Amino acid sequence: MQDKSVATTANKYPSKPITFIVPFGIGGGTDLVARLMEKSAPAYLGQSLVIINKPGASGTLGWNELSGAKPDGYTIGIAGTELLLQPLYGPSKYHYPTALEPLAQIVSLSMVMAVKKDQPWQNIDDLIAYAREHPGEIKYGHTGVGGLGHVAGEAFAKIANIHLEQVPFQSGAEATASLLGGHVQVIFINPASTKEYIKSDMLKALAVSGEQRLTDPVYTTVPTFKEQGFDVVYDNWYTIAAPKGLQPEVKGKLVDGLKAMINNPEFKKNIEQLGLEISYLGPKELQKKWLDDSEQLTKAVQETGILDKIKDQKK
Amino acid sequence: MDIFNMLLQGFWVSVIPGNLLACIIGVIIGTLVGILPGIDTVSTIALLLPFSYGMDSTAALIMFAGIYYGSKYGGSTTSILINVPGEAASVVTCLDGYPMAQKGRAGAALSVSAIGSFVAGTIGIVGLTLLAPPLAKAALAFGPPEYFAISLVGLIFLSKLTGTSTLKSALMAAIGVMLSTVGLDSMSGISRFSFGIDELDRGFDLSILAMGIFGIGEILSTMTQINTATDIPLVKFKDLYPTREEWRRSIAPMFRGGVVGFLVGLLPGPAATISSYLSYALEKKCSKNPDEFGYGAIEGVAGPEAANNSAISATMIPLLSLGLPFCGATAILLSGFMIHGITPGPALITEQPALFWGLIASMYIGNVLLLIINLPLIGIFVQLLKTPLHILMPMVTVLTLTGAYSINNSMFDLIWVVIFGILGFLLRRTGFEPSPLLIGLVLGSGLERGLTQGLIICNGSIWAMITRPISATILSLGVIALFYNVVRWFTKINCAEKKVNC
Repeated sequence: MQDKSVATTANKYPSKPITFIVPFGIGGGTDLVARLMEKSAPAYLGQSLVIINKPGASGTLGWNELSGAKPDGYTIGIAGTELLLQPLYGPSKYHYPTALEPLAQIVSLSMVMAVKKDQPWQNIDDLIAYAREHPGEIKYGHTGVGGLGHVAGEAFAKIANIHLEQVPFQSGAEATASLLGGHVQVIFINPASTKEYIKSDMLKALAVSGEQRLTDPVYTTVPTFKEQGFDVVYDNWYTIAAPKGLQPEVKGKLVDGLKAMINNPEFKKNIEQLGLEISYLGPKELQKKWLDDSEQLTKAVQETGILDKIKDQKK
Repeated sequence: MDIFNMLLQGFWVSVIPGNLLACIIGVIIGTLVGILPGIDTVSTIALLLPFSYGMDSTAALIMFAGIYYGSKYGGSTTSILINVPGEAASVVTCLDGYPMAQKGRAGAALSVSAIGSFVAGTIGIVGLTLLAPPLAKAALAFGPPEYFAISLVGLIFLSKLTGTSTLKSALMAAIGVMLSTVGLDSMSGISRFSFGIDELDRGFDLSILAMGIFGIGEILSTMTQINTATDIPLVKFKDLYPTREEWRRSIAPMFRGGVVGFLVGLLPGPAATISSYLSYALEKKCSKNPDEFGYGAIEGVAGPEAANNSAISATMIPLLSLGLPFCGATAILLSGFMIHGITPGPALITEQPALFWGLIASMYIGNVLLLIINLPLIGIFVQLLKTPLHILMPMVTVLTLTGAYSINNSMFDLIWVVIFGILGFLLRRTGFEPSPLLIGLVLGSGLERGLTQGLIICNGSIWAMITRPISATILSLGVIALFYNVVRWFTKINCAEKKVNC
């Protein structure tokens, strides 16, 4: 009897709009992807998404809410690399990689290392040579202490054996403006933030942090760090996650719906227009990726000394 | 000449019925957002995004822009009528707008504020039309050391606005700066003064503070006064519009405010709020009768209300010509653009001229529409004063709390609105003017971030930081003005002594 009623609620799913938690403010990168999903969701999920922005504490406030929500399929949310990074710096309410269930990865994108177009540096080696001759002169901007741009910047400086001074900014726009104005010399940032300026010949990208090059025409000529002999490989990604414990039928519906939506050409085009790249992964691959990435990032924040620095300040 | 041709084409785009309708809808929603205390631009646009998916992209963007600049028109309404600012940018308008209303000049204050908004809004759009690309480039010359200089000089000048004692004002501003340090520290990533409460990591939101101290605080003050209803004088129809004398006194502040707002709007931060403070301070300095400020000087309404409108047009400059949103409201506009498949950036003007010029032309039209909508509304709003306070105030409370919740979808913020409300009430009771607290909060974070980022950029040398050409100029202006004030203070004491001696 009980089994039957459970089955029918699952069959009826979704019978009301689905709450979609965005753990960052209105107008940011994750918010933008969420709003594109809001646009396409009714056709693929059978219900509309209701976006709730829950900004604060580098995303953890929103993810706490998501982790604690009822696993009935009516509360899902978006997550990024901060999901794995934040718990490394201090105690978090949940262990997100196990408290949350990944449903689909939408995009995966490398970090870009960009400089002003009129800098004499043509590649990473030029920049390293300059940094050795002028120690302490190159400052790099990123969008938050302990974030992926910061990790990539420190990892690069360590491997290249140079000293780069970090300047944290509040947003991609602020970091980009500071680079354009010549206040910092380098930024490590997501490719969407710099695309328009590279197109307009105001900035140039020296390297991308992915395993492979980006496919966007603006970035195809930009080599990876790896190609240039530096083992700096970090990917930022956006995934859709739900609290753990979804009924298999509900989960199945969500996974299938999201997969169809993400692979739809129209959605793909919209995402590309933002300067992002679709990279679909299903729940199984994602679960593994989260664990792998978590391990890699733990190692990175330890080796670059970021963890020590943050822990030191907390004392 | 080229620009005028383009603009003319823009007008053709913006008078297409669909686009014109979008503009009208946008400015009407915007006016409402401004008037209703608590409801803010960012959450309104976010809420309306899904409804725009079916719209043509140009029309959608014209509508969003309309909401954005329209919201600054109505912000002064509740400031003037009931001393509750509709928006953070209209906090300063309470200082003189509300005393004017108590003297029966509410209509005049509202008219001057609407016309000032129109004048300055137009100044801003003309600036946007003619100077956008070069000004956007010039704004980039301002880096962290320059923001530090601006915030420092700003704090010195903007903290004392009203007649209360300098010490009290400075105390308020200092507490504002202290409040700005609560939350996640951008330099180390650790949370400060949060007492282990995760929600405090976000820090104190400008709107939450404004709604609490000025909104709920005023409601509490009204509640505790006896027979306030009799205080409000009835307004006759001929008193609705400004007198010749009031006109004469308002014209120069409107233009000055327009220019000040435009310049402030080019820089990051809540430009509309800062510009209204700045314009108020400037008008007080320029005025022949500075003693009237705080007791219903019409310049104190005309200037700030003008400034926050031209600031809005100026914030569109970095957005449209560089693709860089420098404040929350332009960030949500940017989202609106991107979702409709348009990426603002340096190439927008050349790649999408119809959209760019259509949008700018729609702002000219929108401003005229706003004036047409707002002037007749003044008569209706003044009638609002007849509403018994025990009906009006609970409504305002509900609106304020709803708006406060909608900013971060957080119950925690609601608690803070109430706490700040009680604080605001107590401050007023004890003779403190709380507006420097707000400017302390706004400028405090800029001051700190500018200092820490600037020191890294200048290799830890404070001297290198303050001798960069732009920051040196700003700081010297500050020093000169400070010096002038000190000298004047001494000469005043001297004169007073001489008089006694005589």
